[in-house]
Amino acid sequence: MLAGYAALAIVIHILEAGLPSPVPGIKPGLANVITLVVMLRHGWALAAWVVLLRVLVSALLLGTFMTPTFLLSAAGAMASLAGLWAASALHRLAGRPLFSAYGLGMISACLHISGQFFVAWRLFVPHPGLLVLLPVLLGASLLFGLTTAWLAQNIVSRMRPVAAP
Amino acid sequence: MTRADSLLLLLLCLLIGGLFRAVWSGGDEARQLQLHAETGGRDWPLTADRLIEVDGPLGRSVVEIRDGAARFLSSPCRQQICVRSGWHRHAGAVAACVPNRISFKLSGGAASDYDGLSY
Repeated sequence: MLAGYAALAIVIHILEAGLPSPVPGIKPGLANVITLVVMLRHGWALAAWVVLLRVLVSALLLGTFMTPTFLLSAAGAMASLAGLWAASALHRLAGRPLFSAYGLGMISACLHISGQFFVAWRLFVPHPGLLVLLPVLLGASLLFGLTTAWLAQNIVSRMRPVAAP
Repeated sequence: MTRADSLLLLLLCLLIGGLFRAVWSGGDEARQLQLHAETGGRDWPLTADRLIEVDGPLGRSVVEIRDGAARFLSSPCRQQICVRSGWHRHAGAVAACVPNRISFKLSGGAASDYDGLSY
């Protein structure tokens, strides 16, 4: 099951890497749909596995492993997973889910770009001029986060429900 | 959308809006005016309101400083481009009367040490 989800995510990730992007740094992050679906259906731990496998295997297949692209991708994934972990910890504390797919999508997308941005800024271009891009990137990530969440929500509602772990 | 979702969305929108305001607000306020003419250059502070009269090849141009902003009040040139460019208040702004060989540049603030930046 894990392998199946990861394979789907990897395929989406690689297809998306082939699409030209109008603005560098902005892409829909459709592979995150799978993350959200897994997160909603099976919880954080499995989602983390899917994300890590996706980032690693896609990098190997695209030939970007250990390059700056990979570092950015991994940084985004880590930040996004950290945010999702915090959300699931909150849910456990509250005893019920507080965020729906939309909340999780926003958390994941915005932290993904923030993690990437932080690494890009600290490691590659340590220049204050880069900060000018941050609001644009965050705005785009918010929109795409909501879009992927909407897709994930639709997919989950069409899947057979699973017994809660 | 649950209530937590809406709250998060609102917070993120506020954050992004705040960032836009902070980063895209159009540069630093200028503090000094560097005037250049054929007869030489001189710096003027923007803190005091005054009219500066400068002579060029065509005649006398007047630069006005008021409320931390500066403009060409009048100039003997034909097209009056310098006068129509209006008030300037941000560091790095430049206005010039090319026919009369007079220009000024506003400086002050952290970014004005550079002519331009690219990455």
